[in-house]
Amino acid sequence: MSTAQTTTVAPPAGRPSGGRPVGRRPALRKDGRYAGVFLAPSLVGLALFTLFPTAMALGISLFDWPVFGERKFLGIENYTHLLNDPVFRRVVLNTTLFVVLYVPLNVVVSLGLAVWLGPKIRGRQAFRVLFFIPVMTPMVANVMVWRLLFQPGGLIDGGMQSWFGVNAPNFLGSSNWAMPAVVAMSVWQGFGYNFLVFSAALDQVPQSQLESAQIDGAGPLQRFRYVTWPMITPSIFFATTMTLITSFQVFAQPFILTQGGPGVATQTIVMYVYNQGWQFLTMGLASAAGWVLFVIIMGITAIQFFGQKRWVHYDV
Amino acid sequence: MYRKPARARRWAIATLSAIALTAVAACGGNDGSGGSGDGSGSADKADLTWSFWVGGTEDVAAWQKVADQATTDHAGITVKLQGTDWDSYWSKIGTLLASGKAPCIIGMQSLRTTSYASAMLPLDDLMSKYGLKTEDFDKPIMDGLKVDGKQIAIPYDSGPMVIFYNRDLFKAAGVAEPKPGWTMDEFTAAARKLTAGGKTGLVTRPGDLGVTSWVRTMTGAEPLADGKLNLTDGKFVEGFTKYADFVKTDKIAPQVPGGNPDFETQQFVAGKAAMQLNGPWSLIDTKGKVKFQLGIAPIPAGPDGSKTYTAGSGFGISRSCKTPDAAFQAIMSMTSEKPLTTLAAAGRAYPARIAAHPAWFTAAGIDGAKETIDYASENSVPLVTSKNWVQVSDLLTRFGVQALNGEIPPEQALQTIQDQAGAGS
Repeated sequence: MSTAQTTTVAPPAGRPSGGRPVGRRPALRKDGRYAGVFLAPSLVGLALFTLFPTAMALGISLFDWPVFGERKFLGIENYTHLLNDPVFRRVVLNTTLFVVLYVPLNVVVSLGLAVWLGPKIRGRQAFRVLFFIPVMTPMVANVMVWRLLFQPGGLIDGGMQSWFGVNAPNFLGSSNWAMPAVVAMSVWQGFGYNFLVFSAALDQVPQSQLESAQIDGAGPLQRFRYVTWPMITPSIFFATTMTLITSFQVFAQPFILTQGGPGVATQTIVMYVYNQGWQFLTMGLASAAGWVLFVIIMGITAIQFFGQKRWVHYDV
Repeated sequence: MYRKPARARRWAIATLSAIALTAVAACGGNDGSGGSGDGSGSADKADLTWSFWVGGTEDVAAWQKVADQATTDHAGITVKLQGTDWDSYWSKIGTLLASGKAPCIIGMQSLRTTSYASAMLPLDDLMSKYGLKTEDFDKPIMDGLKVDGKQIAIPYDSGPMVIFYNRDLFKAAGVAEPKPGWTMDEFTAAARKLTAGGKTGLVTRPGDLGVTSWVRTMTGAEPLADGKLNLTDGKFVEGFTKYADFVKTDKIAPQVPGGNPDFETQQFVAGKAAMQLNGPWSLIDTKGKVKFQLGIAPIPAGPDGSKTYTAGSGFGISRSCKTPDAAFQAIMSMTSEKPLTTLAAAGRAYPARIAAHPAWFTAAGIDGAKETIDYASENSVPLVTSKNWVQVSDLLTRFGVQALNGEIPPEQALQTIQDQAGAGS
């Protein structure tokens, strides 16, 4: 039966595998047209709201483009300005630091909790809802609460003064503490999404395979390493890729929690773009910074996609 | 029956070109006729839109009543309020002004007037034509809404920066309440005595008006010289260093968090700090929030006396307005005695029109408020800002926090701000 099925869909002899079967060409073309019709709204949206602004931003980035006043062609001057600007270099470093701290922490916390909340835990669904609540709560509300925790005279500082008679660090006013504070708040706020992705993936791991491994003498760690892990790698790849992209674009948490301060200790690239564009009304510099971010994200995502062949298993 | 690939490519190119052209057209601004869609009509008859920052539905209702004064005074003129929250207002209005599609009447804050002046209509000719008397308004804020000697907006509120203080804490600590003419030495001594038991004598956060007012009273230095940023001037550095010492060395004020613009008010209202520098626009609102007796005093006097800055807001006309005469008449009505007195009596901002002051002092009900604000006004000048003041203000807060908390030397903070924003000022 399997042989027959293979025969019907196999390419005719003499054509490379994956080539278009000559006999089905008109039908495929018809399908293609239908596909085109269905895709058209998305493509128009993509062209209007993504491709065109992206191309326009590239054009603007080559100009001194104030909101008021005359525009002047600068070539790559905005880019050289950014490269030589210590503030922008710090902003890129901050963004990288956020990604390096946030992505592994997010994945470890969400995967750890998903594994912990295995099928045998009572009240599993209630925990799932509980862990997802921070994702659903408006970011502004979350940040306001964390601000009250972190600020001088806040809950942590007040508690430490009452119990130990010492002040807590000035979490949001110290360059050393501000970024860890932003990362901690972000992990708490954001792990729920990946937690759900991993929970769903873990539910798909066949119980029979885990039992077979157990009968063969594999302990819990070995079962996770050699059975569970390979089967959830596609989900881990998806989660890390998406988390990486969104964390490079981080804005709301530092914007509300620290406004990028103290100094520029927690300012990220998107905040820099926002400030230059919408606060300081210098669109050229904002567009150039936006393109720098675009190239960074595109590069890292490409590396991830090429690298996935080494560790992601789609065939298990 | 099926299109050839080349033909399909042509279709694809044509489609993408159409999309791109549509998008270009959509982003292309107005048709060059020089006008917005707003304000069609004549000098006596026009339907105008007024863009302004508002805080909520109650705010919208209060300000729409102000707008309705235009219709009461001029039957053919209507003004419709288009309210936006403060944070979104400036990016929105910037885009509208740049595209030539801004409403006729624009709310304008004195500290941002220089940034937006090129898109606003100078009002001097209209003021002469319709007989607006500048002497009816507080002088510092009339001057604060001028750019290069031209009036850009007519003020509705104003106010010099003054000290708000917690009278209960002063009494409990046995510290004499401040009076007009009190000195920096007296202020520091009082703040030291008030700093005890988890409370501080002062709370401060390095905002533009606060920093510049403290620096001005301590050394007389101004942030600009000939319209350009001049923060590395020796006198300014000296004043800023003394200001940073409130937190860093003297510890009469608490460490400052990075991102909470309401920190000062929160600490003061909660009774955790005995004093803060603030504007009269916040006085009645603060009085409603606190659970202690509120007092106000002028900023302490430095070597050359008490010196502070005034800020405020008003209404101007966009250059793209087709009916500037009607818009100006509407603004005259909106800043006339009746609506400003009504706003004052309702406990809103300190009015810029002198005739409306008594209603505001009655609503405030704070002993010595008139004496203090009159004294502070006499000793204040408008804070003149640079074109990129929003950036300067942002950087001042960013690096000011680090300087106050002792992370970087004050002169380094000012040098960084000067390096970042000096060229664009």
